[in-house]
Amino acid sequence: MAKEMIAMLLAGGQGSRLYALTQKLAKPAVPFGGKYRIIDFPLSNCVNSGIDTVGILTQYQPLVLNEYIGNGQPWDLDRLYGGVHVLPPYQQASGSDWYKGTANAIYQNISFIERYDPKYVIILSGDQICKQDYSDFLKFHKEKGAEFSVAVMEVPWDEAPRFGLMVTDENDKITEFQEKPKNPKSNLASMGIYIFNWDILKQYLEEDEADPNSENDFGNNIIPNLLRDNRTMYAYRFSGYWKDVGTISSLWEANMEVLDPEHSGINLFDEDWKIYSRNSGMTGHKIGADAVVENSMITDGCRISGEVKHSILFAGVQVEEGAKVEDAVVMGGSVIKAGAVVEHCIIAENVVIGENAKVGAMPDSESDGVATVGSGVYIGDGAKIGPKAMVNKNVKDGEEEW
Amino acid sequence: MVNSNADALGIIFPNSYDGLVPELVADRLMASIPFAGRYRMIDFVLSSMVNNGIDNVSVIVRKNYHSLMDHLGSGREWDLTRKNGGLNIVPPFAQKNVKVYNGRVEALASVLNFLKRQKEKYVIMSDANIAVNFDFSAFLEQHIKSGADVTVAYIEQEIPKSMIEAEMDFSAYYYTLELENGRVNNIKINSKASGVQNFSMNIYAVDRELLIDQIRQATVRGYIFYERDILSPHLVTLNVQGYKYEGYYARISGMNSYFEENMKMLDDANVDALFANPIYTKIRDDNPTRYIPGSRVKNIMAADGCVIEGEVENCVLFRGVKIGKGAKVKNCVLMQDTVVEPGAEIEYLISDKNVVISEGKQLKGTDTFQVFVEKGKHV
Repeated sequence: MAKEMIAMLLAGGQGSRLYALTQKLAKPAVPFGGKYRIIDFPLSNCVNSGIDTVGILTQYQPLVLNEYIGNGQPWDLDRLYGGVHVLPPYQQASGSDWYKGTANAIYQNISFIERYDPKYVIILSGDQICKQDYSDFLKFHKEKGAEFSVAVMEVPWDEAPRFGLMVTDENDKITEFQEKPKNPKSNLASMGIYIFNWDILKQYLEEDEADPNSENDFGNNIIPNLLRDNRTMYAYRFSGYWKDVGTISSLWEANMEVLDPEHSGINLFDEDWKIYSRNSGMTGHKIGADAVVENSMITDGCRISGEVKHSILFAGVQVEEGAKVEDAVVMGGSVIKAGAVVEHCIIAENVVIGENAKVGAMPDSESDGVATVGSGVYIGDGAKIGPKAMVNKNVKDGEEEW
Repeated sequence: MVNSNADALGIIFPNSYDGLVPELVADRLMASIPFAGRYRMIDFVLSSMVNNGIDNVSVIVRKNYHSLMDHLGSGREWDLTRKNGGLNIVPPFAQKNVKVYNGRVEALASVLNFLKRQKEKYVIMSDANIAVNFDFSAFLEQHIKSGADVTVAYIEQEIPKSMIEAEMDFSAYYYTLELENGRVNNIKINSKASGVQNFSMNIYAVDRELLIDQIRQATVRGYIFYERDILSPHLVTLNVQGYKYEGYYARISGMNSYFEENMKMLDDANVDALFANPIYTKIRDDNPTRYIPGSRVKNIMAADGCVIEGEVENCVLFRGVKIGKGAKVKNCVLMQDTVVEPGAEIEYLISDKNVVISEGKQLKGTDTFQVFVEKGKHV
């Protein structure tokens, strides 16, 4: 039986700007929001939108991601026909190749898509925090009779030059595409989420592959080629919460916004649009008799004896007596030892912050950096980690890192 | 066949001791009583079995088992969705005369044919009224080494007052053991003795063939109770060995003990002991718990999905509990999705699922007698 639409999720990004956080895992596997990973958002969106077939294209550090996805059961994507499939590059009779670009990644999996004989294919990105109903997007695509649609966000004009922009007519038909232009003609930024009619996509992927000069990229090659041929292309305006969490500061900011759903627009508490994740299976968290917890999100397995303010703590984090955590994102299994001060920073998984150590600093006029400590790192007793530091190696007792 | 698993199948009696907590089992049974923030009583014995390689588990339900069926589902969370063995829920079989079993013998008689077809050499039986991280491997090892016909686990403890005072109802039968060099030579039923006793946990290991034989003979004679009718009269010929359990346990023997055992979870040492090996439960996909500015919390255990705006002290909060602004909650056990509206003040209160304490309401119990609000009630 044919599927109306299947999803292809681009999850191969190295996430080099997240450096310390992506040494051992792909960007979509980066933890977010207390108990999720970034990829939970597009996967949950798929399921909540009625899409039951998702191909995840991986190539960089896929181990954590593969294990996390497993059979797809946490997202209800363990299906007899369809479900979630992790698709790394593989050897074919004609040879094998890494995914050369986003378009090439899809090209190499044409046979996967054809197994489901879909009418439409939605291309998703694995590095965005966004709650979006893809069925609304598809409805728009069908109503417009489009061959290609792209989800766009209105951005402030002064920020527009940082984005790929869609210039449209009054009916939202795309007339021009500008990639990070100096003089923007539009403020509709591409979210990197596309719906294609499958026959069109296949045709352009094959054409693109035959072009030896192509970068095999959707933004640089496929979309310009579609425009060249005057294909029916529309921009679908999305106005909900959307954040590209490709940098440390944007990742930190998006986490902080989770603490303020009333204003930020990212509401993880929505019963009608749940974000699913693989659960830690730990007991409920504990808050001690002398602990202070203010304006924070805390999840299963945490033990708080110190002070936690305006922070997000993932599963199994321990904050010992006299320790202070403020404006911080502390990922699963990390331990903040007695007397340590952890401020305005991201602590990755299974980190130990030694007694009386200091990580990061509250922003002031001189610096507003987000200190970052990579996973599994040991920060010695009394060590100091400056607000701009990215720490990926153990720091000995009393040493400083700026 | 390579067998990395235990050579034993498990049988759980989820309705045992229902009668001790009538309020909590109005809509459910002992095994599905919520406990320790995000678990149900059966999770402990079931997870312990799985952690010890017992992956063929039958749950013989008696009544009020809808909540348990919902909780267990296909058994996936316990890794019991298996082609061979796995989780097997046995409801009362609708025969010509629908009859609900009373004692263990009748329950086992209903699965006799199933038992005959299994391949495991041993059977492990347990109730679900004790939350315990039980080492079934060590238990089975002792059973095999000692050459016992039946091994029964016990705890050296005083008999809870609530059990002594309970009505002499079959569901409240409890057993104390007299031992000589580890062998049980007397089983007392509903003893009122004070002081520390060898209090049976009703966890048994028995050779499957022997169990089948025992049940067959007992059924012919119309026997009902395994302990009273099969073990007790034959202690001379039957080698029944005791297995002393010395680890952490939480025995639910009444409303007050339910409250106290939950409250004990506020001590980290107790949590570490009870959860030394993983305990699995049904996943609910709640978001992390949110502490809104203005909230004040002290000494609590809270599961995911809570939203806390008010003051909470010495409490166990289950999943999805909401505490409104200005509400004061002290010494309470609040089950799933309880809502305490703004300004309400509650103390020593146990709320069942989906309870709403309305705005400004004051409700106070005491440390020995807690106010109980039944499932779904708005007060």
